[in-house]
Amino acid sequence: MKIEVNGLRVDYHDVRAIDGMTFSLDAGKIYGLLGRNGSGKTTLLSVLAGFRRESGGTVRVGGRPVFENPEVTREVCLIGDAGETIDIDKVEDAIYFAEWLRPHWDAAYAEELLDRFGLERKMSVKALSKGKRSALGVVVGLAGRSPLTMFDESYLGMDAPSRYVFYDALLADFMEHPRTVILSTHLIEEVGSLLEEVMIIDRGGLVLHEESQTMLSRGTSVTGPADRVEAFTGGLTVLNTRRLGSTASATVYGDLDDARRRQAREAGLELGPIAMQDLFAYLTEPAGDAAPAGPPADVPAEGTPSATPSGDAR
Amino acid sequence: MRFPSRLLAANLFFAALVWVAFYVVVTLITVGIAVYGTLTKSVWEGATQLPRWFALFVGVALIRDFLPLYIAHGQTRRQFGAQAAVTVALYAPFLSALLVLGYLLEALLYHLAGWPQELSSAHLFGSPTQVPLVFAEYLVEFLAWIVAGAFMAAAFYRWRGGGLLSLPIGVGLIFLGEAAVGAEFRLPFVRLGLDAGSAPGVPVTLAAGLGCFLLGLAMTWSIIRDVPLRNRPS
Repeated sequence: MKIEVNGLRVDYHDVRAIDGMTFSLDAGKIYGLLGRNGSGKTTLLSVLAGFRRESGGTVRVGGRPVFENPEVTREVCLIGDAGETIDIDKVEDAIYFAEWLRPHWDAAYAEELLDRFGLERKMSVKALSKGKRSALGVVVGLAGRSPLTMFDESYLGMDAPSRYVFYDALLADFMEHPRTVILSTHLIEEVGSLLEEVMIIDRGGLVLHEESQTMLSRGTSVTGPADRVEAFTGGLTVLNTRRLGSTASATVYGDLDDARRRQAREAGLELGPIAMQDLFAYLTEPAGDAAPAGPPADVPAEGTPSATPSGDAR
Repeated sequence: MRFPSRLLAANLFFAALVWVAFYVVVTLITVGIAVYGTLTKSVWEGATQLPRWFALFVGVALIRDFLPLYIAHGQTRRQFGAQAAVTVALYAPFLSALLVLGYLLEALLYHLAGWPQELSSAHLFGSPTQVPLVFAEYLVEFLAWIVAGAFMAAAFYRWRGGGLLSLPIGVGLIFLGEAAVGAEFRLPFVRLGLDAGSAPGVPVTLAAGLGCFLLGLAMTWSIIRDVPLRNRPS
């Protein structure tokens, strides 16, 4: 389902959690939603799922408004940390209601996933470990086969093998039943290979929205003698610089054409790739209390981010 | 509107299980009193105080557990509200029928054992075997207690501590329900006779009970109609 967000604003009393966010997501892709704690990820997903009404702007999913629109909300699934879909007596009860309320529910697939995550139908949900609760949420999210499926840090508490079961199942099911998937996560390196496009938000604003490969290709580390690194990076968008003695390593963001790369080699500088997690950290790094988070000048973010106070309630 | 069969079935099933356990316990207490003391009145009558609280918490669970569940599964608040209203409208008679059954089973036990099944409180009915009146009284009471629970839970869900302000209104709903049957108003530390002699008759009682039910639903709907789901587990 195509998602169109225009000038989205969400307020919690006097705190602005989302401020003028604008973007558009095409249907049938896996998106990564990255942001620091309190950046507004959960709030954004809550609005997309109709969990919460927007304070301003417009949100359209499949070309229609979301809040209290059953034609849209029944096609949308958000699995969050709060466990709304599973907080009921037993595992089988959670499945019982999911099967009843989800129009595209695949019962056989749900059973298969329960087995893969080691969940038994008679288990009490409240007695489950954090990881097992997360796994049950994943089962509900995947077997629901909603045209727009969103996972908000759904891996919390899951051990590494379980997380890889999730990633494998998600990718396999997405290939078989293409739909729009949004993954909100902090485990960027683990899911990076799944993501077709990445959105980075910070302090309620959109910092960056790009194809993940394009984003990675724009980040380059430049390492060499400090004076030459400084000379080479002059005029470029430098996200971060580290020094060790006379050697410096700078992270630059932006396209480096062949001439620039040749120039670097001739200056004895070493160019290397940047990990997505490092790029995310640099792009959302506060430069000071008064510094607003925002994309480098040459980053084609679709929104117009602006700084707002952060809060954990988001 | 889709019929709320699973919401209703889940609650009916749980209520039936609780009723069986509750009936066994009350019967054991009854036999215990008869064996070790003097049994002069209906024990089931006194025991029916507890199902009212059970009904209250069913109303609470509707909002606290099922509202987030339904919305998270893509239902709108309006769809949930309609299904919850139908569920309560069918669930309250079911609970009432279970209490009627309890009175009838107790009457059979007392009759076989030769014990007097006297009532000690004011009621719409004069004898536990007046099935329609027993059913009507508890139906109205359960409707009031369930919607009061739902209303107060909605207020707490939306405003957290601010929900405390809903307690007097919730208690007022219960008071209305009890007044409709001319029964006794019992809450912790409060026991208020409402004079059964002034009970206005079954049709008016049922009408008042229906009014209480609709009022409670309307007040609950005014709170949940655009309530946001909480971001964090409560």
